[in-house]
Amino acid sequence: MTVLSDVTAVREAVADVLADRCTPAALEDAERDGWAPGVWDPLHAGGFTTVGVPEDAGGAGGSVAQACAVLEEIGAAAAPVPLAETGLLAGRLLAHAALVLPDGPLTTGVGPVALRHGALVGRLERVAWARRAHRIVLLADDPAGGLVVAVVDPAAASITPGRNLAGEPRDAVDLDGVVPETLAPAPPDAREALARRGALARAALIAGAAHRVRDLTVAYTGERVQFGRPVSRFPAVADHLVRLAEQAEMAAMAARAAAMGAGEHGEPAALDAAAAAAVASEAAGLVAAAAHQATGAMGVTREFALGVLTRRLWSWRDEWGGERAWAIRLGRTLAAGGSDALWPTLSRGVGTSP
Amino acid sequence: MIFAPSALSPGEEALREEVRSFLAAILPADFRPGLGLGGRHDPEFTRVLAEQGWVGMSIPVEYGGAGASTVRRFVVVEELLAAGAPIAAHWIAERQTAPALLRFGTEEQRRWFLPRIAAGECWFSLGMSEPDAGSDLASVRTTATRVDGGWRVTGTKVWTTNAHLNHFAVVLCRTTPEAEAGDRHAGLSQLIVDLGADGVRVSPIPLIDGEEHVNEVVLDGVFVPDERVLGEVGKGWAQVTAELAHERSGPDRYLSVLGVYRAFLEVCHDSADDVDDTTAAAIGRIGAQMWTIRQLSLAVARSLEQGEAPAVEAALVKDVGTTFEQQVVETLRDAAGGEIDPEGPTMFERLLAECVLNAPTWTLRGGTTEVLRGIAAKALTR
Repeated sequence: MTVLSDVTAVREAVADVLADRCTPAALEDAERDGWAPGVWDPLHAGGFTTVGVPEDAGGAGGSVAQACAVLEEIGAAAAPVPLAETGLLAGRLLAHAALVLPDGPLTTGVGPVALRHGALVGRLERVAWARRAHRIVLLADDPAGGLVVAVVDPAAASITPGRNLAGEPRDAVDLDGVVPETLAPAPPDAREALARRGALARAALIAGAAHRVRDLTVAYTGERVQFGRPVSRFPAVADHLVRLAEQAEMAAMAARAAAMGAGEHGEPAALDAAAAAAVASEAAGLVAAAAHQATGAMGVTREFALGVLTRRLWSWRDEWGGERAWAIRLGRTLAAGGSDALWPTLSRGVGTSP
Repeated sequence: MIFAPSALSPGEEALREEVRSFLAAILPADFRPGLGLGGRHDPEFTRVLAEQGWVGMSIPVEYGGAGASTVRRFVVVEELLAAGAPIAAHWIAERQTAPALLRFGTEEQRRWFLPRIAAGECWFSLGMSEPDAGSDLASVRTTATRVDGGWRVTGTKVWTTNAHLNHFAVVLCRTTPEAEAGDRHAGLSQLIVDLGADGVRVSPIPLIDGEEHVNEVVLDGVFVPDERVLGEVGKGWAQVTAELAHERSGPDRYLSVLGVYRAFLEVCHDSADDVDDTTAAAIGRIGAQMWTIRQLSLAVARSLEQGEAPAVEAALVKDVGTTFEQQVVETLRDAAGGEIDPEGPTMFERLLAECVLNAPTWTLRGGTTEVLRGIAAKALTR
């Protein structure tokens, strides 16, 4: 029970910080400027940017489940800040290599990067907030055939700005010739583990946004009157609401179960993260489509709060892999396991009961 | 919404292993799995299962059951359905009738029925739907009139699964005319009808898959003694509604397709080639969805165990689960390609054929998709 109440407490605390900070004006500013100091600073001051990173590495401590609880709130508020990247992704990457977190926003990405004679060769595509990150943390192949964690000052790299459908920075980072500030050996499965955390983090963001989309859509269709009654009373519209709610619960359950499976100190399991990503990414599209159909023309206006969420759902579902790529990975593992192992694999628990 | 992921305790996991080993030992190697709750009617299997204490598990010990928790029962039911075990003889008695008797039955009824249900010797059917009362269940026309010492029941019930094999049916009928009761939900009662009694006529309704396990049950002045009234006269509607919440969210709503899914993996395994991306994506998507829906269903079981009544969540899980089941059939058909041969050489082909013919019923039985979404929408927009 302590796990659950801790998760709930974290969620409420973050919601408190975010309340009234992700206003339409703040989100428009963030899209224009690529940064939202009014959102980042209070989260940072409250210690919420490194939940899930052990305290001895300079993080706030906490489990993957708690980190994902923070991300659900970030998703619900459409908060335009690299929370996932700073904590669960780059933060854990550093901690697992026994490095201490630099202060401020961090980011990371995966791509073919190598270390040659002390300098990096390669390029990372679509790195979240690379231009505003205090440091970029990445994995590179070292000449000996191993893997290293490299910490890079973005000022030393060549950055080409880009964005996702929601206007969140997704930048290309050219690393050729960049000498990392810090290098440390990484575990051999670090790339795989980072990809899993990336996928799970997106699933948690999607779950949060989907719940908020549900609330907005239910509220709007309850107020909008046509033919003399609220449109939510029409069965065809109500059907959209129910399917939307179902998919929001699917995304949330998948993300929470995968996060809970990581336990107090562990990492999400391969199958759990793949399942969470496959379910949440598919749900994201269904939720957005149902919400827009139910809210009609108002829903697609820049003025209405729905768009900042659905644009994120349409972006996040493809980041770190998307549903098809993760379904393929999961499917290959299940097929290789054979038919006798199928049900035992699908019915395995999500960690030990309290 | 109460959906929170839930881990199984070591004791619950151990029980799962126990049931799994038992089924592996008792079911033959070439066993053709039933489609979840569509498992076959096999009194001998039910009897042996009851000897293990796995029929009517949640019935308290004093009434002959195991007094097990909702989740322990969930674990056993899940393993039975996953194996496609022949559970039909005890299915309704244990899932629906036993909890109803515990909640609404008299002490005498509990003492008589519950030990027999737990022993796997007393089998029930549901007498709810009628020719003119399906989704609109309150419009039942079967009528019970007061006679000396009991009631005389006349009417017709349909879709009564295994009424030709089972001992009793819990029949929803009108005991007070609607005009007198004032409200159409008032004046309904549940009577336990002995399917062997005089005036009961059972005839099969053949379905499109060629099976004849659902029936029309004509009740022609059947006498039901007072001691066979379930719960209060006139409170039938509230009782039935409570039952449905229990009926809706269980593992039977996502495991109808496990057999065909497993058989598909067997086909992939036997093929010389590695699975291609499209096939892998199909297998993975089904696995991911099933893993998630299972957690939703377990969350409802956990919440029932803690004394809550998550009726809306149960409706959502049933809708998500049964919609998923139908998608699985289409996904596997698409992944496999080719014509569907009901006498095909592989188990997969035969099960796929059975699934295609059965799938339409999955989103009908226990409340249609439309009815469930209506319930959920009311709660969402309240």
